[in-house]
Amino acid sequence: MGAFLRRHRGLTPYLLLAPGLLWLAVFYLGPSVQMAVSSFWSGSLEKGYVFSFANVTNYTKALTRFEPQFLRSILYGGAATILTFLIAYPLAYAIAFRGGRFRNLLLFLVIAPFFTSFLLRTLSWKIILGDVGPFLGPLKAIHLLPDDFRLLATPIAVVSGITYNFLPFMTLPIYVSLEKIDFRLIEAAQDLYANRFGAFQRVTFPLSLPGVFAGSLLTFIPAVGDYVNAELLGNPDTTMIGNVIQNQFLTQNNYPTASALSFLLMAGILIAVVVYARLLGTEELTAGGA
Amino acid sequence: MSPRDPFSAPNITRRSFLVAGSLTGVAAFIAACGTSGTANTQTPTGTPAATAGASPAATAAPTPKPTTSAELNWANWTYYMDTDPNDATKFPTLEQFKTKYGTTVNYQEVIDDNDSFLGTIQPQLQHSQDTGWDIIVMTDWMAARIIRLGWAEKMDLGNMPNVTANLQDVYKDVTWDATNDHHVPWQSGMTGLGYDKAKTGALTSLAEFYDPKYKGKVDYLTEMRDTIGLTMLKLGLDPSKATRADCDKAIAEIKKAKDAGIIRAFKGNAYADDLRTGTIVLSMAWSGDMVQALIDKPSLAFTVGSEGGMLWTDNCMIPKGAKNKYTAEVMIDFCYDPKIAAQIEAGVNYICPNKGAADVLKANNPDAANNPLIFPPADILARLHIFVGLSEDDEKYFNDQFATVSGLG
Repeated sequence: MGAFLRRHRGLTPYLLLAPGLLWLAVFYLGPSVQMAVSSFWSGSLEKGYVFSFANVTNYTKALTRFEPQFLRSILYGGAATILTFLIAYPLAYAIAFRGGRFRNLLLFLVIAPFFTSFLLRTLSWKIILGDVGPFLGPLKAIHLLPDDFRLLATPIAVVSGITYNFLPFMTLPIYVSLEKIDFRLIEAAQDLYANRFGAFQRVTFPLSLPGVFAGSLLTFIPAVGDYVNAELLGNPDTTMIGNVIQNQFLTQNNYPTASALSFLLMAGILIAVVVYARLLGTEELTAGGA
Repeated sequence: MSPRDPFSAPNITRRSFLVAGSLTGVAAFIAACGTSGTANTQTPTGTPAATAGASPAATAAPTPKPTTSAELNWANWTYYMDTDPNDATKFPTLEQFKTKYGTTVNYQEVIDDNDSFLGTIQPQLQHSQDTGWDIIVMTDWMAARIIRLGWAEKMDLGNMPNVTANLQDVYKDVTWDATNDHHVPWQSGMTGLGYDKAKTGALTSLAEFYDPKYKGKVDYLTEMRDTIGLTMLKLGLDPSKATRADCDKAIAEIKKAKDAGIIRAFKGNAYADDLRTGTIVLSMAWSGDMVQALIDKPSLAFTVGSEGGMLWTDNCMIPKGAKNKYTAEVMIDFCYDPKIAAQIEAGVNYICPNKGAADVLKANNPDAANNPLIFPPADILARLHIFVGLSEDDEKYFNDQFATVSGLG
């Protein structure tokens, strides 16, 4: 093998890429192509499906009919991303700079929730936020809140659920980018008469941007497609596009519409990400790696 | 970067990578095009020759008595068969069947959703191949779809005297199986009012579901036929004859309740938890769930509305091309022996479709025999309705309208 590689040095990168490419070809590209094809179907499960490019109307119809759910998903996903950022940044900062010998323990605590299932964690929110649960129950008992006040089955519950579930995805990348900042840079800023806030604003925060960028993508992308939180914590007016796709695929067996919706979702997220990357400035994102 | 680094050498250019990548994509695209379409081009033909229970060819003189096979494959839902109290993996009914007929029943609890189970056998059915199962158990609407597609064997009722004698009348002559020989009811449930009587008092009318005084404290079901069915009954319409116009009226009524904030959510079995935790006080509910919920929280109650309730049934069917059709018929008939039916019922909390089972149970398990959720009295049974068997187009219409009103576009 070694001799073979020495003679055919050019093959090495392909060999290294092969497992990943093969994996993606089988489990990503294959299904995506299948889905692209079925998004141009018309017909039904029983009568059979016919492929035609004229069925591009599947896309326009889906976009018109499900526009509210699309916009709501972007809104909820965006709100949850901003909230996770506001919560995760101070958390990651504290762990990275003030964690001391508890740093590993704190990091472990951040990921500890992953040891139980996503579904169970979301279900436990139903108990916590329940109308007569441990949080609202006492407040209602002392008449601080009216009896018919509720958090469950509201947009607040859905966004809170998403925020909670994706918090570690934001915390860890920010932590990594903060942790590797050379502290001498911050000292240098202070030597140059920057106060603590100035040093943070001009040195620490810009250097942590790659983490913020990675974290917000890791949060925003799955959050927009999430349907578990909306299903368990929401009401009929908080359904997200993931719920619609699930319903179209599994209940209605409407594969063409469901496939078209999936591609529209991908396209929507891609556009949002490109806009975001432009706003943040792409060169900032690679600067941290130098 | 060192020039020795293989990645710095122009081995993979952007162009060559893209070319290779797009070629892979095109190949996959072509491969995928070939599989499009799942048309059912098979017209239902006669029973395959290999089937044990098929009537022999016209030339055969005296009909030989079919014999039961050595094994039988049965797919069912979980908790749908009585188990040995000492060993939950043993099924007394199936063991007695083996003693009597010598057939080993390969009983698998593999069904937990109609659509996804059908997905596992659909390709075989489309190509008229054996699905590997001799008995499957499907809910009414799915049973209707399977019969409509010609995917169910016609059973020989001559082999099923117990079924003929003991099936309750309310189950007979459904629109989707007018000849009563493509399905046999296994267990049923009722859909009605599940509520916390400590909060609401005793309820009798379906109108409660649309009453603003329970604003935000009511769950409806995600199951289209139950929610539309109960709403139709409230409006004085008959769900066993539902038309698109009826559907529109029901949807308008549901929308009114949703817009008024009465409906908190559309739920599957999770409504039972909402009732238990006190998050809601009233829900459209299934009798089988409520038997269990009542044990956990005695203030809960289940009532079939005075306007009526829904009756849904999971049905035994023999999929097209099943290897052991005759044995499957004998097995289903065996379960319709009132003694066996009583034994099954004592282990399962649903409604028994068997006429004689209650009498047998009264002697040895009066609690189960007197539970109106397991053996509903005649006046309740008379109020129950089975949802109409919808054509594919109508089913799509109903599902679509229901998805829209439940917030799914």
